[in-house]
Amino acid sequence: MSARKKAWVASAFSQLDSTPKSTSVIDTATPARRTRSSSTVGKTTATTRARKPKETLDASAVGTPTTIVDLTITEDDDDKRELPALANDNWMENFAPSQSDELAIHPKKVEELRDWLRHCEAMRKKYPAQMCLLTGPSGAGKTATLRVLAQEFNYQIQEWINPVDCEVVNALGDQSNGNSYVGSQLEAFKSFLLRASRYKSLLDKQNKRLLLVEDFPNFLLNDGQTIFEELIDEYASYGKSPLVFIVADSKSRGLNISYKLFTDQLKAKHRITHISFNSIASTIMQKSMKRFCSLMQQDQNKAIYKVPTQSVVDSIVVGAQGDIRNALINLHFGSLKGVPNIPVKQLDVSVVSKGRKRKAQSTLKFIGRDESITLMHALGRVFNPKYNEDREKRLQHSPEEIAEAFSTEPKNFINFIHANYLPHFREIEDVVLASNDIALADLLLQEYRDDSLAVGALNVAVRGCMVANSSPISGWMPVRGPKRLNNQPQVTPLEQKLLGIGFAGIPKAKYASEYSSFVKSIAAKTKEEFESY
Amino acid sequence: MALWVDKYRPRELSKLDYHQEQAENLRNLCKQSDFPHLMFYGPSGAGKKTRIMCLLREMYGSGVERLRNETMTFTTPSNRKIEVMTVSSNYHLEVNPSDAGMYDRTVVIDLIKQVAQTHQIEINGQREFRVIVVSEADELTKDAQHALRRTMEKYVATCRIILSVNSTSRIIPAIRSRCLGIRVAAPSETEIINILQSTCKREGLVLPVELAKRVVDKSERNLRRALLMLEASKVAKSPFTANQEIAELDWQVYLRETANQIMSEQTPAKLEKIRERLYELLSQGVPPNLIFRGLVEQLVNNCDIVLKAKTLDYASQYEHRMQNGAKHIFHLEAFVAQFMNIYKKYLTESVMSVDF
Repeated sequence: MSARKKAWVASAFSQLDSTPKSTSVIDTATPARRTRSSSTVGKTTATTRARKPKETLDASAVGTPTTIVDLTITEDDDDKRELPALANDNWMENFAPSQSDELAIHPKKVEELRDWLRHCEAMRKKYPAQMCLLTGPSGAGKTATLRVLAQEFNYQIQEWINPVDCEVVNALGDQSNGNSYVGSQLEAFKSFLLRASRYKSLLDKQNKRLLLVEDFPNFLLNDGQTIFEELIDEYASYGKSPLVFIVADSKSRGLNISYKLFTDQLKAKHRITHISFNSIASTIMQKSMKRFCSLMQQDQNKAIYKVPTQSVVDSIVVGAQGDIRNALINLHFGSLKGVPNIPVKQLDVSVVSKGRKRKAQSTLKFIGRDESITLMHALGRVFNPKYNEDREKRLQHSPEEIAEAFSTEPKNFINFIHANYLPHFREIEDVVLASNDIALADLLLQEYRDDSLAVGALNVAVRGCMVANSSPISGWMPVRGPKRLNNQPQVTPLEQKLLGIGFAGIPKAKYASEYSSFVKSIAAKTKEEFESY
Repeated sequence: MALWVDKYRPRELSKLDYHQEQAENLRNLCKQSDFPHLMFYGPSGAGKKTRIMCLLREMYGSGVERLRNETMTFTTPSNRKIEVMTVSSNYHLEVNPSDAGMYDRTVVIDLIKQVAQTHQIEINGQREFRVIVVSEADELTKDAQHALRRTMEKYVATCRIILSVNSTSRIIPAIRSRCLGIRVAAPSETEIINILQSTCKREGLVLPVELAKRVVDKSERNLRRALLMLEASKVAKSPFTANQEIAELDWQVYLRETANQIMSEQTPAKLEKIRERLYELLSQGVPPNLIFRGLVEQLVNNCDIVLKAKTLDYASQYEHRMQNGAKHIFHLEAFVAQFMNIYKKYLTESVMSVDF
């Protein structure tokens, strides 16, 4: 079914190929099939007539060899005709690891989680309600590790999934009419925690259960801290199975569940083990990509996949930035039969590190994650700029890139630059240029009529700091936050009394610059006199 | 227990110590039934506020001296609540919208509407309008000034506005043309000395002429500052002596010390220390333009003639930027860095020339 669909889709778009450029290498088999398929769809003479000149064009084009490579063409065109459907709808499961040595995680991390599970085993009788928190960037293999290890320890995972709101059916089974209400999610979550840990499912054989909360209920996302603490308290005393929370890291604090809900206090109180995963290292990722490739070549999958080239695999690894889920998806779609090769672009990073030159990296051209860097990381790049040792000295990280990464909060980033740039400078001559640029950036930021100027301002500040610093001082320096000023003049009641009712009429700035110091000394004296009486 | 500045402030136009002729003109202005919007302008401490209060008293009688404090709350379009302190009597209302910072526009519109829409109930009140005194009107943003201009026209039947301004250059022309400008020049040195002497006499103190002169010198012809200075000096040392120490504004002392530090060392590390000091001043609420001016004055005083022109050139450049920018510290710091650089260059050059 899907194969036919694809053929039809191909015919629908085939007219796009009529430009002489792209039809250069098309072999004659394709247009022939196209006409066939189109005639099955609808026998209109108009379409065939429209195709005819193209066919001749194709024929002529075959003879003339051109250098242009067509991306829409695959190596083996014959297989296109009968593309087998995927065996399993959820193809990701085909690649899921089943043993711990298949995991793309550092063995030490796996051991950490295994230790916790052992601990759970040991405490099963006395304190069954052990809790654990797994954090890490998305695609770091948190859930996969848990699933594999749970199987190892014969745990049945009971996962909480946020229910779709539905009306509550009362005990007699009839729907309340009219004033129906939706059950509280809090109640549902609570009953999940307490009951799922206690009673086993009728359909399961395994006796041991492990609760998993990855999908946090909505009521916990905003200011749910106190409720959450209560829930955890309750679970700690009544729960009967280990409980695992999985939280993906997020950049912004507002979205960071592990930061908001799992306070240090809470973790300490209930001895919640916190295991934090790192994003997957590229060597490990390479290894598991190899595993995926070999899985693809197994009999049941062979019909679907072709062998991806090594450069594509390398690029996928680079592009995924430690996200194995992303890598797998790219690999899957990049190596399906009947799909064009993924275009690859060269990254111009060739750094001389430890005496040997790294090979030039490449990444996926259109897909893959955008590189994102943290504030601290970016500040490091600004203050200790690296240069390419080319013939002409060029910055390795262009200021544009850094500016672009923080284009949503230019003010904040400039403030951070200003708060931290001075210790990195050796010479006052360099500081002049940098401070001048930062001041200029502030001026540009004030221009509210054009949004794009904000990025320009950021660019000026970043570039100023990077270029002006001729010999940066490197070394560890704590990053300081920008200073906040609160211009509230502190006026003691006595001083206020001295000024009388007119105090409110004195502008703040004037009070600070004209009155404050005199009034202070006068007030101090009068206080003395007052006390001496 | 009030400050001398308030205690001996003239309450009537006829009792003003200087600018008598102008006082006469103001009195004539009140005699007419109609009365324009006014704009008092002149340097700080020249007596603008005093004249405004005298004028109001001339119009409404002593009722304007029954003052009360009121804290008014305004809601900005972004639903932020801001509080502004006002001083008011039955006849007038005094407000500093610039204290609301960037929300001054809301204050101007709401407050003036509130006041202007209510008519005077008292029939035997001399005037059928109330007066709004806007102090530091030149600190208002352009937005607020435009809002003010509109309200000035709309509610002219029920209210008059008196602006108190340091420099008319920061008032938009539309407002300038709607107001009768009254310039209040700073008192001359002899006038200040006379006032200081009479104040001391009323306090029962003897003020040596020497000391009075020195106070006037330090006060930069700012009468308010001179009086406060004298009172603070009196607090420090009660029977005045000719060569006693005069209390100074602490931020000026601090700024002088900062300037000395700039002259002593020109390194990024020092610049960082200077930044801390500037932050300290800013957080005290000292206006950035005063800091800038004080700093430049100190630096120019101390440096060689060759550098003066250059320093002023840079100062003008960065001061201009500071007025347009939002982060005053950036520009102050950039100026200090610039000065450090030229000063360091000058020093190394002069050392070289000494060698040969």
